[in-house]
Amino acid sequence: MRYSATLLDHFLNPRNAGMMRDPDGTGEEEYEGCGDLTRFFVRVRDGRAVEIRFQTYGCGPTIAAASMASELARGRSVDDLCRLKAQDIEAALEGLPEDRKHAADVAAGALRAAALDALGKRG
Amino acid sequence: MTRRVYLDHNASTPVHPEVVAEMLPYFTEIYGNPSSIHAFGRDARDGVDHARERIARFLGASPQEVVFTSGGTESDNFAVKGLAWARGRGHLITSKVEHHAVLRTCQALEGFGFAVTYLRVDGHGMVDPDEVRRAIRPDTVAISIMHANSEVGTIQPIGEIGRLARERKIPLHVDAVQTFGKIPIDVDALGIDLLSFSGHKIYGPKGIAGLYVRKGTKMVSIQHGGEHERRRRAGTENVPGIVGLGKAVEVRARDMRAEAERLTALRTRFWEGVRARVPEVRLSGHPTERLPGTASFLFRHVESESIVLGLDLKGVGVSAGSACTAGNVEPSHVLAAMGVPLDWAMGAVRCSLGRSTTAEDIDYVVDCVEPIVKKLRQVLPVGAA
Repeated sequence: MRYSATLLDHFLNPRNAGMMRDPDGTGEEEYEGCGDLTRFFVRVRDGRAVEIRFQTYGCGPTIAAASMASELARGRSVDDLCRLKAQDIEAALEGLPEDRKHAADVAAGALRAAALDALGKRG
Repeated sequence: MTRRVYLDHNASTPVHPEVVAEMLPYFTEIYGNPSSIHAFGRDARDGVDHARERIARFLGASPQEVVFTSGGTESDNFAVKGLAWARGRGHLITSKVEHHAVLRTCQALEGFGFAVTYLRVDGHGMVDPDEVRRAIRPDTVAISIMHANSEVGTIQPIGEIGRLARERKIPLHVDAVQTFGKIPIDVDALGIDLLSFSGHKIYGPKGIAGLYVRKGTKMVSIQHGGEHERRRRAGTENVPGIVGLGKAVEVRARDMRAEAERLTALRTRFWEGVRARVPEVRLSGHPTERLPGTASFLFRHVESESIVLGLDLKGVGVSAGSACTAGNVEPSHVLAAMGVPLDWAMGAVRCSLGRSTTAEDIDYVVDCVEPIVKKLRQVLPVGAA
């Protein structure tokens, strides 16, 4: 299958890419065997993710999935971020080819790790 | 409209208009089976014979030594299995940077009890003839070394390996799919006993290729049936394809030298342009012993598929040197054998220039590469890759 226009747009113009100083939570996920790595940073105010940043190393879909996840996550409660599924990210990207499904898994896993980190720090 | 630049000629090439013109009558007018004895068949046979002569002349061989096959992969299978099975058991020598058509055929033969030595290469991807010499055993039945590598373009010292093989009376197979029609090949001067070549890498059609088999070489067929190709490869000949391959070879014999010079200059322009504008980039392969049109870049800390996708969206077709499919990362076996560190190997992008490539194309691609790599490096986690 071909990549959707939405996916290509997120690949070419990644939203919220970059680092964050003093985040409330950070988390990363690596796709075993593939080398794809995504790292999320979240800033939390009143239990909600007010700012999200990501860095990623991987193929086009991996970058697009991280970018899309950052958009889906912003403004949500931190608990909600833990529940964001790879399928939600994939659906927002209007589909991923079978051999690129891991792009959404990596993004969801990294976001969840960042959210859990933020929850842990909050105590 | 986006400019379209094709820089993947090592993968495949457009069929040359002169080749198409020569093939066309063989679809609709000269359609007989070359094995038939009537005039329809004889006309088709003439086309096949003519192509065989052209190819033989190009290689410095005789027409009886040229066998047509369906592709480079079949030629490689035929050569390696044909030599091995003719002897029944024994030892083969190949290199770690061969095309999978040779590597996996050798691996398959290991399953049938053959022993195989996979020679290492140096940092430029080159086999050391001395290592070939040391690998030879009393039961060595075949040596198979490629002429030039498709990924990095390094040309192997086939002449030296050929002399060694001849001294020891061991048949030498050379996968020349990437050099045939690009640089001169003389099978006698190089000491080659079998040579794989293909049509679609040299502006001929897909689905047609061949194997040069030196007269007297002991080998068996791997495809059985009729009496075609002097009983070496059964199956009705792909007549339009064979005619096209013959014409492609004739055109290459005419144009090859001038084009090699032109492509070498363009590749230098390409490399100089990229190097001037992109930090942390290398050219892989041998600095001088290399295919004229192949430029394989290593962009450190960038994932090659993302560069390929970025260029694709700019209308540029290049090839990723590493592929991540179904969760299985494959930094190219060639770069791995060359000892290229993973942080460089994962950013391998192969560009292969061809007939249609212009200086303007190269400048456009250089303009595209710089921001793509810069952007990809911006989103990179520190310490990744």
